[in-house]
Amino acid sequence: MTTNNDAFIKRDRLRFTKNKLSSNLTLLAILINAFYFVSVYKCDVGTYYYKWFIGISVLYNLVFMLVAFLSSEGVKSYNIKYSFPLIAIGILQVVRIFILPLQAKNAVITLDGVEQAVMEDGKFFYQSILLVASGVLCVIAGVVNIIKAQTLASHQAQIDKETKGSKS
Amino acid sequence: MSDLQLQHLDKIYDNKVQAVFDFNLNVRHGELIVLVGPSGCGKSTTLRMVAGLEDISAGNLIIDGKDVTKMPPKDRDIAMVFQNYALYGHMTIYENMAFSLMLRKENKNEIHQKVLSAAEMLGLSDQLNKKPGQLSGGQRQRVAMGRAVVRTPKVFLFDEPLSNLDAKLRGATRREILLLHKRLNATMLYVTHDQTEALTLADRIVCMSMGHVQQVGTPLELYDTPANLFVAGFIGLPPMNFFDAEVKNGEVVCNGFSVPLSAEDKAALERYEGREITLGVRPEDIVEGGKISVDVFSNENLGQTTLVNGTVGKHRITCKFREWCTYKPGDKVNVSFNRMHFFDKKTTDAIRL
Repeated sequence: MTTNNDAFIKRDRLRFTKNKLSSNLTLLAILINAFYFVSVYKCDVGTYYYKWFIGISVLYNLVFMLVAFLSSEGVKSYNIKYSFPLIAIGILQVVRIFILPLQAKNAVITLDGVEQAVMEDGKFFYQSILLVASGVLCVIAGVVNIIKAQTLASHQAQIDKETKGSKS
Repeated sequence: MSDLQLQHLDKIYDNKVQAVFDFNLNVRHGELIVLVGPSGCGKSTTLRMVAGLEDISAGNLIIDGKDVTKMPPKDRDIAMVFQNYALYGHMTIYENMAFSLMLRKENKNEIHQKVLSAAEMLGLSDQLNKKPGQLSGGQRQRVAMGRAVVRTPKVFLFDEPLSNLDAKLRGATRREILLLHKRLNATMLYVTHDQTEALTLADRIVCMSMGHVQQVGTPLELYDTPANLFVAGFIGLPPMNFFDAEVKNGEVVCNGFSVPLSAEDKAALERYEGREITLGVRPEDIVEGGKISVDVFSNENLGQTTLVNGTVGKHRITCKFREWCTYKPGDKVNVSFNRMHFFDKKTTDAIRL
């Protein structure tokens, strides 16, 4: 079974090693998302955030982390099904920029008769970068898993074919 | 693979207990040496000193001409297989076998090839994606061996690797180790308390007792010409029968019987005339028919052979007959000795010409 063909060996390694790259990228995305929500809830001014969408935001963060964590485990074993939720939540991370951080950036609140920006520009950019980063990581993890899973499947099919051929 | 020299090794623990005394051994390239002895004789301590897991109190350890006495274990290029396998339970078999090479940051493709070839050699190709918990004891031990094989170390060390296996599996795994040794032509140091393993595996056996080397030799040398009473009693199953005896007028006189000596034995025992010695007879060297009368107290049929236990005078005796016997307790059977061994009563050393 062993061969000197490096490309073949590289593909063959997939049969026995886990997809740690996708898994680790996803875990990193979760970490970055954690930085995002700590930052976004920290910059509340007055009671601006105490609206219905803050509840949904908290809930979504939990859903994001749950889906991302489960997917990080799923992609470890080259399960292609887990790539799709990963790509989806990755795209949603970018969409999120236009909901909470952007609304907070545009909002002005009056405290003790003084008008005040809810979120400064610097914080908005920081949070946007975090969301983009975690989203991109999720998408990359998903795409890498699709490529690796397909490579593994075709490699396995080739091996099965060779084994069948040698048996008959 | 390389030569291994153990020169005057001593092991003295912090509490001043000395476990190994002046251990000397030259292991040639590709040789399989078995250290055998009862529990607490210092054989595992010696192995651990070679591995670097125990400090060497005195003496030198030379591998391939290089003094590694003070070298840390990781730099000695030695692989050890433990009794309890010491596998990582959370890793797959592939990862377990590749782990040491990963730590060395070897090329991943090369690691892959090494692991696959070792797995094929050990019949583990179908198990590579499993975890150790999903394998049988024998398979786990093969994984432990595979982990050593992939490293292509200078010396392999085995610390009672078969002790956790049942009798059937032990035999099969023993044959695999022997095959592995032939294939790799590897220098191996193997520790066991099981003399069957020692006799079947070893190129040479080192028999130890109380921290001292009793005899070094081929399995046949240890069986045929034991150096002293300890080796004679330890090697051989069932163990050798011993009788207190006296040399008198060309005969060995024991309590309850006497045996005439051959010319060769007479010459060897000339200086023991009138003195007490220990007579040793292996159970398989006792045959039915003769002048020595044995009072039988048990008869154990083992299929091809029968072990007959009895007494001669004040001595207990075990005879191994090559046929199916049906002696009952109280029966008398006459026997004779095909071959005898003689030992000095004081020094316990073998008496030879």
